Amino acid sequence: MIPSKLKTFTLTLAILPGLLALLFITAADFSSAGALLNVLGRLTGIWGMALLLVAAILCCRVPGFDQPFGGLTKLWKLHHQLGATGFLMILTHPLLLAFAAAEISMDAAVYTLFSSQSAVLWGWVALIALMIFMAPTFAFFGKPDYQRWKWMHNLSGVTVVFALVHTLMLSRTLPGHWGNAVWGLLALMALGAIGYRWIFSRWRGRLPYKVTEVTHPANNVVELTLQPLRAHLKYQPGQFVYLTPFCRELESGNNEEHPYTLSSSPCEPTLRMAIKALGDGSRALQNLAINTEVSVEGPYGRFFDPKASANQAELWIAGGIGITPFLARLRHHARLNEDVNVHLIYCVQDEARLVFGDELQKLSNTISGLSFTPHFFYQQGPLNSYFVKQHCPDFNHREVYICGPVPLIDSSRRILTDAGVPLSRITTEEFVLS
Amino acid sequence: MKQVGFAAFVAFWSCVGTLLMLFWLVPVTPSDAAEEKPGYTLAEVAKHNTTEDCWMVIESRVYDFSDYIPKHPAPAIVMANWCGNEATEGMKTKGYGNNHSQMAWDMMARYQIGVLKED
Repeated sequence: MIPSKLKTFTLTLAILPGLLALLFITAADFSSAGALLNVLGRLTGIWGMALLLVAAILCCRVPGFDQPFGGLTKLWKLHHQLGATGFLMILTHPLLLAFAAAEISMDAAVYTLFSSQSAVLWGWVALIALMIFMAPTFAFFGKPDYQRWKWMHNLSGVTVVFALVHTLMLSRTLPGHWGNAVWGLLALMALGAIGYRWIFSRWRGRLPYKVTEVTHPANNVVELTLQPLRAHLKYQPGQFVYLTPFCRELESGNNEEHPYTLSSSPCEPTLRMAIKALGDGSRALQNLAINTEVSVEGPYGRFFDPKASANQAELWIAGGIGITPFLARLRHHARLNEDVNVHLIYCVQDEARLVFGDELQKLSNTISGLSFTPHFFYQQGPLNSYFVKQHCPDFNHREVYICGPVPLIDSSRRILTDAGVPLSRITTEEFVLS
Repeated sequence: MKQVGFAAFVAFWSCVGTLLMLFWLVPVTPSDAAEEKPGYTLAEVAKHNTTEDCWMVIESRVYDFSDYIPKHPAPAIVMANWCGNEATEGMKTKGYGNNHSQMAWDMMARYQIGVLKED
């Protein structure tokens, strides 16, 4: 299934309970302004709950599940959109019901919100818990630390259980078996996803590895080589994994997972990953000791199209440590002695930041069909269409892959679309994951 | 999206706060004294036992729900069994132990036609 169709299917699954509820709405639900607000209140509750459940289903992070969505980054974006919209709807739900009751009396409005009925109390428990656990995501009280955010965000799965109790006790818009069937099915899928994430993946989804080599291709960049202790990970060039180091001496990030792109060829007997010191965890990894045990979970992402032919004409634009997926593919082509039709533009601030520059130069000499052009910001300014056209004249006939910081992705996309390259031929991967 | 989420969070508590403030400030309007309503016996109520002509007794007050039945969220059959009867239990349990909301209790006042009197 292509990503856009799967996205449509997922959105349909999320809005289906609300659409089903529309079938049970009668003329009486439009008999007054209060009745209309009441039905809207119930519908926002149903849609909010369904959106949160589908968002929970998408967070399971089963390796391979992200592939049909176009990679984990795109899957996360969909998860964010559904979760945020669901959160807004859940906030609207009790207010609309209270406003609807205000048509009867102010007492009714307030008692609708603050009833001692256990179903209403469960609703408040779910709502307050959701607000607490989502506060770091929406940065209500400033930008949180990554690990604290992640821990709090995982806990938001608990609110789904509270909200389900509230829904099943009060649900009347979806009558009888319809309500049980819809909520039962979605809840089962969501709890299965959360169960996988919290339990199964911790014990069975992670592969043990050992650090066998630590090199520093540039200042603030480390490349780790990992040897499998059990099975070896199967992956495609350009994919990433979640790495968890187990080393109490680490200044930061012991037993914490972070995503890193693999820089090795899948044919190699070991895993390699290049890591730039961008935060506390990645900074601590710069001095990781040999023989440290780590776990690897994945692979995730679908930067390169696995069905594309090896000699497809491509333009690659990399920025900084965003060179990693391209390096992995070039190492893979070199191992397989494959010809390519690739032009690589590698954008960095200056020569000192040209990570793997020597190796890339060597690869461009050995791999037939590879052209390599470094672009230095301090000399040439921001990347522009003149530079791209000068070094890759046929760029608007090529498939384009861009990986790097967001400003580079945005400016490159603008240069390409202005020159007539359709968005469908541009694949991007931001080096910002959350 | 973060700004929208934060704005919605603030708007939510502002609305809840406003409701509570109004509830506290606006004086309660006394409802019609039940004593002024006419009295009906259970035998009289029992004659109105169809969904088209449905009277009920709830906590010693007599209600005519004939116009309300089509608007009730549950199917008419759910209320039909209580027509012509003492229905306090139905109101307090919905048949499965869940009380009706305060909104539902308040809304009943519109349909009160009298009070229960001894036979």
